[in-house]
Amino acid sequence: MESPADSQSGRKPKKRGVGRPVASRSKPFPTKKPEARSKPVKAKKAASRALELAPLQAPAQPTAQQPPQKAPHKPAPEVLAVRDLSKSFDGTVAVADINLTIAAGSFYGFVGPNGAGKTTTLSMITGLLRPDSGSVVVHGADVWTDPAKAKQQMGVLPDRLRLFDRLTGAQLLYYTGVLRGLDAATARSRAADLAAAFRIEDAMGRLVTDYSSGMTKKIALASAMIHSPRLLVLDEPFESVDPVSAATVAEILREYVEAGGTVLLSSHSMDLVQRICGHVAIVVNGSILANGTIDEVRGDSSLEERFIELARGGRTVEELEWLRTFSD
Amino acid sequence: MVAHLLRLKLAILANAVRRSRAQTLGAVAGAVASLAVAALVIASIAPLQSTTPEIARVVIVCTGSFASLAFLLVPLAFGADDSLDPRRFTLLGLQPARLAGAIAVAALVSIPLALLTVGAVANVAVWIENPAVAVVAALSGILVIATATLAARVCSAVAGFVFSSRRARDGAGIVVSLAIAVSAPALVLLTTSDWESQVLPIARRVAAFAAWTPWGAPWSAAGDVAIGRPVDAGLKIVIAVVTIAALAAAWFVVVRALSARNSREAIAVERTGLGWFARLPASPGWAVASRSLSYWGRDPRYGLAVAAIPVVPIVVVVSLLGVGVPAIFVSWIPVPVMCLFLGWLVHNDIAHDNTAFWTHIVAEVPGVADRWGRSVPALVLGVPLILIGSYVTALISGYWAAIPGLIGLSACLLLVSLGISSVLSATSPYATVHPGDSPFAQPQPQADDTGGSWAQAIAFFGTIVLSSPVVYFMVLGNADSESWYRSALGAGLAIGLVSYIGGVQLGGRLLAKRAPELLAFALRN
Repeated sequence: MESPADSQSGRKPKKRGVGRPVASRSKPFPTKKPEARSKPVKAKKAASRALELAPLQAPAQPTAQQPPQKAPHKPAPEVLAVRDLSKSFDGTVAVADINLTIAAGSFYGFVGPNGAGKTTTLSMITGLLRPDSGSVVVHGADVWTDPAKAKQQMGVLPDRLRLFDRLTGAQLLYYTGVLRGLDAATARSRAADLAAAFRIEDAMGRLVTDYSSGMTKKIALASAMIHSPRLLVLDEPFESVDPVSAATVAEILREYVEAGGTVLLSSHSMDLVQRICGHVAIVVNGSILANGTIDEVRGDSSLEERFIELARGGRTVEELEWLRTFSD
Repeated sequence: MVAHLLRLKLAILANAVRRSRAQTLGAVAGAVASLAVAALVIASIAPLQSTTPEIARVVIVCTGSFASLAFLLVPLAFGADDSLDPRRFTLLGLQPARLAGAIAVAALVSIPLALLTVGAVANVAVWIENPAVAVVAALSGILVIATATLAARVCSAVAGFVFSSRRARDGAGIVVSLAIAVSAPALVLLTTSDWESQVLPIARRVAAFAAWTPWGAPWSAAGDVAIGRPVDAGLKIVIAVVTIAALAAAWFVVVRALSARNSREAIAVERTGLGWFARLPASPGWAVASRSLSYWGRDPRYGLAVAAIPVVPIVVVVSLLGVGVPAIFVSWIPVPVMCLFLGWLVHNDIAHDNTAFWTHIVAEVPGVADRWGRSVPALVLGVPLILIGSYVTALISGYWAAIPGLIGLSACLLLVSLGISSVLSATSPYATVHPGDSPFAQPQPQADDTGGSWAQAIAFFGTIVLSSPVVYFMVLGNADSESWYRSALGAGLAIGLVSYIGGVQLGGRLLAKRAPELLAFALRN
C-alpha cells in the first residue's frame, strides 16, 4: 500500500505545483500553506489535495530511493551543531562524545539498537536532559545557555512522555501554540490546519487520554509543529502509527523539508529511514559509528544489513549452540 | 397504567430479596438499618412532646429540612441508574403527561420515602395534644412527601443525563462518600456537646433560615401555629405548594424531553470549543491558568482534593468543640482552614503533571508564568470562599465586627500558602498519583524520595508561622478593641501579597533553573 513508487508519483510533484523554491528559508512551516487557499479546505479536500495540486507535467524525479535530498547546490547553513555531547548515569556511559552537524533542509535519520543512547541524545539536544559535557547549538543559539532562543527554533516530539491528556485535542494544540508565543487567532487557525493535515479533525473535541496511541502520536507531532520551527527533533515518530497514518506523517515531514525545514528523527525501522531520510547516523553504545547520506552509509548493501553489521560489531549468534540440539 | 407501574415497582422491591442468599442478606440488612434509622428518628422526635413548642419546632425544622434536602442531593449523586427512569418507558409510546403522573405515584413506593413518611407521622405525633396543630402537621406532612418525591424524580432524571459520563459519576460519588464521612463526626458532635448551650443557639439560627426555604417550610408550619404565628404558617404552606407546583412542572418537562430522545449517548456530547482557553487571554501565564482550571474541573485527583477541603475544618471544629473552646471562636475556624488547604494543595502541582511537564520545558515557559498560572484555580475558588465564607461565619456567630479580620486572615492564609507552594513545587516534588490512576490509589515513592513529608510540613507550618501576626491581631480584636480587626485585614493582605509575589518570583527562578531535573524526577517516579 505504501510502495515507494506510489508515494512518489502521487505526492512528489505537488510541491513544484505550488511553486515554492526548494530551499526557501522563509517559513519552513508546511501546513501554513492552506491559509493561502480558502477556508473550506477540509478533510476530504485535504485528502485529495495532492491530486488537485499536482500539475500533470510532473517534472521527473526518477530516483525513488533518494527523496528530497538532492545534494545542496551551495553549502546550506548548519541548523544543528552537537559538540562532544556526553552523559552517563551512575557510572554507566549512555552517550560518549557525540558530534553531529546537520545542515538546514536535511532529513536526518538517527538509528540504533535498543539502548544505544538515541533517546538520551535527543533529550539533551532538546533541552529535556542536562548533559554532563558538550554543547548543542540550534541555529546559532546554545540550548543550554540561551534556551529561549534555541528552543523557539525547535519542535520536539519526545518518546514515551505523557501529554497534558486531560485536554481535548483542540485545547492541547492551542495550549502548545500559546505557550510557544502565538496569539490566539494564529494558534486557533494553525491548530485547525494541523488537524486537517494530520486528519484528526474528528477527534479534536475529545480528550487526548481517550485517543488511540497512533492518534496521540499525531497530535503530539502536530503540537511540535504549531510554532513553525526551523528544526524538528522527533523521537520515534512512527512507532505505533498505522501505515496510512505513517504515510500521512511522512508526507507532511517531506513537505516541511522541501520548504526548507530540517528534521532529525530516530527510528527502529531501517526500511522507513532508507525511504524517507536523506542522511542517516548510526549510533551504537552511545557513539556514532557511521553518518552521512544514506548512500554513503549503506555502500553496496542495504541500510538494514549495514546497520546490523555495525550494531553487532562482527559478533554472530554462535553462542546459542545448545539451541541446535533439540531436547525431546 | 398507574396500577401497572405501582405493581412493577413493588415487584422490583420484592425481587431485591429474591436473589442469591448474599444479596438477600444485604437487602434484609438494609431494611433493618432503615428501620433502625426510623426508630432513631422517632426516638429523637418523641421526647419533643415534653419540651417547649419553640424547641420542638427548631429541631423538627432542622432535621426535616436536612432529610428533605437529601432527596434532592442523593439522587444527583447516585441517581444515574434508576428503575423508574422515564427513558425506560419511551418505547411504549405513552403520553408524557400520563407517564409523568404514573411514575411520580409509583415512586412513592420506596424505602427512603417510607422513612420520610415515618418522620412526617412523628411530626404529627409531637403535636397530637393540640388537635389544630396536629391537623396542620398532617397536611404539611403530605406536602413534605410530595416535595421529596418530585425532587427525587427530577434530580435523578437530570443526573441521568448531566452525569452520564463515567468521570462525572466518579466525581459525584466522591462528594457523597465524603459527605457520609463527614456526617460521622457531626453525629458525634451532636451527641457529645452540650445541647442547650452549644447546639441549640446554632440550630435556632439554622432553623430561622431553613424554615423559609422550600425544604424547611412545610416542616415548620405546624410549629408556627403552635407558637402562635398562624400567618407565618400560612405563608409557609404557600411556599410549599408553589414549590410542589414548580417541581411538578419541571418533572413534566423533563419527562417530555426525555421521551423525545432516549439515548444517553446522544446527550453525552463532545466538548466543543476551547473551554477556559477561549475565555482567558492568550499568553503563557494565562494558558497555564486555563490548563490548570480545566484540570481542576476534569481530573479526579484534583476533584478529590477539592472535595476534601470542606471536610478538614469539620474535623478541626469537632475536636475544638470537644475540648471546650467557645463556639464563637470555633465558628471562625472553617473558612481560614479551608483557605490554608486550598493554597496548600498546589505545593506538589508539578508532580501531578508527571512527564507531561516536558511541554513546558521545550516551550521554555517563563518560570513565573508557570507559577502564577498554576495558582489561578486556587484563587478562583478562594476569593469567593473568603467573601461568602466570612459573611456566613458572621451570620452563624452573630458577631459582625470581626468580618474584616476574618477576611484578612483567610486571604493571608490563602496567599501565603500559595507563595510557599509555588517555591516548594519547584524545589521538592514528591511521588504522587499518576495521571489517569484512581485518586484513591497509593503513590509509590522512590527509595531516595524523602522530600514528600518535608514539603507537606513546610508548606503547612510555614504558612501558619508567616500568618501568625494576623492571628495575633484577631486575638487582640477580641480581647482589646474591635479596631484590631481592621489591622488584621491590612496585615493579612500585606503579608499575603508579599509572600505570594515573592514566592512566585523565587519559585519561577528556581523552576527555570531546575526544569530538567524536575522532568528527570517525573521519569523516575
